[in-house]
Amino acid sequence: MPQLDTSTWFLTILSVMLTLFTLLQPKISMHLYTPNPKPMPTKTQKQHSPWNTAWTKIYLPLL
Amino acid sequence: MNQNLFTSFMTPVMLGIPIITLIIMFPTILFPAPTRLINNRTISIQQWLTKFRSKQLMITHNSKGQTWSLLLVSLILFITSTNLLGMLPHSFTPTTQLSMNMGMAVPLWAGTVIMGFRNKTKASLAHFLPQGTPTFLIPMLVIIETISLLIQPVALAVRLTANITAGHLLMHLIGMATLALMSISLFTAFITFIILTLLTILEFAVALIQAYVFTLLVSLYLHDNT
Repeated sequence: MPQLDTSTWFLTILSVMLTLFTLLQPKISMHLYTPNPKPMPTKTQKQHSPWNTAWTKIYLPLL
Repeated sequence: MNQNLFTSFMTPVMLGIPIITLIIMFPTILFPAPTRLINNRTISIQQWLTKFRSKQLMITHNSKGQTWSLLLVSLILFITSTNLLGMLPHSFTPTTQLSMNMGMAVPLWAGTVIMGFRNKTKASLAHFLPQGTPTFLIPMLVIIETISLLIQPVALAVRLTANITAGHLLMHLIGMATLALMSISLFTAFITFIILTLLTILEFAVALIQAYVFTLLVSLYLHDNT
């Protein structure tokens, strides 16, 4: 059976590895699957600003 | 007669240069890479098929197994396109070569087993002993389970090779029989031609199914080991 002739095996396996990994996979990975658009919430969250909670020196410019 | 039948399975050499590499790389030309936001119909259809197939394949895996999804999808694409291109007359099918199938099966199977051993050592070793075996059967069963594990890659490779080779050989034989019968009796030649048509339809199905089975089994071995 010519498939059992091992002289060509190295070349075949090498070319399969090459094709499968370096040729096909980048092509498939370039397919972009964007998720469906989700509605953004219109009410924004309350911001916790740290500078309002502590009284600092700048509120009293004379000192 | 023997020599004539099997020559189509020898690795093709043209003018002394082995062109098997070019033949293996040829199906990748048929999958153009998407470059734009809205692509042409060919790429859109392929993208839809890839998404459909990858969802079906990877839904049973957890997030660790899903890292293999790109490899498995490109594997099934490669095997399907190679098998289908081999249905063209006088073409060479690389999947009939045992070397190529072993080169695909052994690393993938070994990858799943090694991943299982590294991450979940106890659970993957526990696969060797099914639940509820009587105590005196344990040594024999461990040996049997080990052998059945070690035979998985060989079975994967030989299954694909044998199916595709046998189908191609059968088509050659029946085609030669139809041709020989045409000069003897036209009616028998017609019957044989009907058989050939049915066989061709079967071969198309086999080409698709074999790719599916190969990838499904690799995915199964992955599931066991993640």
